[in-house]
Amino acid sequence: MKSSRKLAALLAVLALVAAACTSDSDGTTTTAGGDGGSDGPATGSVYDTVMSNDEVRCGTRDDLPGFAVVNPDGSRTGFDVEFCKVVAAAVLGDAEKANLVDLATPDRFTALQSGQIDVLIRNTTWTAGRDGQEGATFLTTTFYDGQGMMVNAGEFSSIEDMDGVVVCSAGGTTTEGNAASEASRLGLDWEVRSFEDVDTLQQAFQEGACDGWTSDVSQLTGLRSAYPDGPDALTILPEVFSKEPLGPAVRDGDSKWAQVVDWAIIATIQAEEWGITSQNVDDFLDSDNPSILVFLGQAPPEGAVLDPGLGLPTDFAYQVIKQVGNYGEIFERNLAPLGLERGVNALWQDGGLQYAPPYRG
Amino acid sequence: MTTETVTVRPPLWRDVRVLKWLFQFAVFAVVAAIVLWLYGNYQLNSRRSGVATSFGFLNNPANFTIPENSMAQLAPVRRALVEGFLNTLRVSLVGIALATVLGILVGIGRLSSNWLVRRLSAVYVEGFRNIPLAILLIFVYFGVVLQGMPAIGEAWTPAGLFVFSNRGIGVPWFQGGTGLQLAATVLAAVLAWWLVSRWRKRVFDRTGNPSRAGLYGSIVFLAIVVAGWFALGFSVSLPEVVGRQVRGGIRVDPAYMALLIALVLYTASHIAEITRGSIQAVPRGQEEAATAVALSPFQRLWNVVLPQAMRIAIPPLGNQYLNLIKNSSLGAGISYFELTMVTRIAVANGSPAIPAFTVALGVYLVISLVTSAAVNLANRRFRLVER
Repeated sequence: MKSSRKLAALLAVLALVAAACTSDSDGTTTTAGGDGGSDGPATGSVYDTVMSNDEVRCGTRDDLPGFAVVNPDGSRTGFDVEFCKVVAAAVLGDAEKANLVDLATPDRFTALQSGQIDVLIRNTTWTAGRDGQEGATFLTTTFYDGQGMMVNAGEFSSIEDMDGVVVCSAGGTTTEGNAASEASRLGLDWEVRSFEDVDTLQQAFQEGACDGWTSDVSQLTGLRSAYPDGPDALTILPEVFSKEPLGPAVRDGDSKWAQVVDWAIIATIQAEEWGITSQNVDDFLDSDNPSILVFLGQAPPEGAVLDPGLGLPTDFAYQVIKQVGNYGEIFERNLAPLGLERGVNALWQDGGLQYAPPYRG
Repeated sequence: MTTETVTVRPPLWRDVRVLKWLFQFAVFAVVAAIVLWLYGNYQLNSRRSGVATSFGFLNNPANFTIPENSMAQLAPVRRALVEGFLNTLRVSLVGIALATVLGILVGIGRLSSNWLVRRLSAVYVEGFRNIPLAILLIFVYFGVVLQGMPAIGEAWTPAGLFVFSNRGIGVPWFQGGTGLQLAATVLAAVLAWWLVSRWRKRVFDRTGNPSRAGLYGSIVFLAIVVAGWFALGFSVSLPEVVGRQVRGGIRVDPAYMALLIALVLYTASHIAEITRGSIQAVPRGQEEAATAVALSPFQRLWNVVLPQAMRIAIPPLGNQYLNLIKNSSLGAGISYFELTMVTRIAVANGSPAIPAFTVALGVYLVISLVTSAAVNLANRRFRLVER
């Protein structure tokens, strides 16, 4: 009697679980199917979210001189910060509508995937794995960087001299792997250590735990300029041993929003090519060059304004240049003071890699 | 005349036994439904944003190296995770052993009749128990290890046997065989020691001749270790400074040292309190009886009080062990490549975050459950059998 009741109870439990499973997996399938059909640009593009929030949530950081730092008064400046403002100026017509969200390096892609931010502009390298596995789509590269090595001044003059040393990097990035590859390539014996954050690494470096400090050259330049013992205590070795194209990233499968961000950035490069700056942009509003009129969203008398259908206001380029500036201005304001040269980041006509596709119908 | 007990069963919806079961099904069904719903959402959202949810990444190349480790840069991610797991075990097991010894000593010290010992123990416990471990760790790493030890350029090498520097401490170690062979040799020697001592004890019981178990045992132990050493072709490797690294012998990594010191100091302060409480929970009569039969203070403590106190201390000790294991993940902050650190770096190098951390979570869970099981086993084994 008793055991049969137990058996019955057990069966009931199993039935319940089975019921829960079936009903739930059914539910999931339905939703997935319903969503799969509308997976294209029609469903909730980030573009719509941005328009309804009336702000661009931009993932960035607060601790990298030149790219994104917090000033003593609480405002933020930097190369990446200004590109956040470029996007806000282009989409919403107001550079101040960029909401800057601080992200730790390991959290950045999760924040992008989960929709916590609309666009990630946080000196992030475009790699195959990130394109494929992290669900991110990388857009126009804003800065062509490469990994280098910083050492105490006078200790080493070339990476090839660095045998049997300890090399430190700030963790959560691809720099450990690049350093290990470089050591194998040169047949050097390096112990590569990584630290969670730059401040801990700097402290450890100062106390002699590392001989070399490896990171992207742009970062090393920024860190060197703010080094407690003065920039002259450190030397950045001439060799650059990796390609690090840094640019904005958006979520996969949202081409509408991707195009918007892409063209906002392209506008800064195009403006520099034509010599249009935040100071003189108003003088170009009645330019004799029809391409420039089209670009600035102007029309000659009896002419028409071009709307390429990107979802951007027709005068977005004007707003970007007026409120933030062209690529050269952004570079000069943020990166030149650190001692970074334009180098490969010069315009294509000057032998660099920055090239804007044509803005026309 | 027989009286028959008539049991009238209440209707099902008022039967307590049925209701009790029903309630449990309901709770179970709700929990299961919530879990499935969350999992479904996760799958759906991941698919929508194009994030990989499979565990295929475990077979991708890791593309980073681990200090103190021969793992190739292109070894699969699963291998890197295993190495991280081993590093977690390395710091946890040594940490548990040291924290237990230190904690018990300080706990006894707190009850010492010596004023100075009592006060120092109290200062130790209150000091370390009341500061956050993360801050203690940073302090030990920078203040004690990196600044307290000489820089690699002026490493201290007493008699050429050791190397002390802030890039690690080098200690002589064996080379030429595998760790497994060494462990087998030592194990065989210990077994022989045990057998010989047992034999000597029987001789003593039978004949009354002095047993000298320690002497005979040690000789056999040493003989087996030395024989094994040469038979398996072991030799000694001395540490030295090569370039700007400590090479040869076995190296105690600076980050490992800092993490171990911090974990031991912190956990021992908790274990000390457990020990003190457990000793005070032993009935006073036990110690008085031991005094009455003229046992020395050490014998009273070692043979009468401590065995009873540790019986009480086992379950809370187990909690401290679990805490220590989980706290070892703080090592990620000071570049100790334990499981959390390796997982984070793997994620930074292209492994999907949620599946990667799920793996790490599962491993921590298994370590903790195994530790719990061991503690429970010890508890059952040493529990006072009451009649």
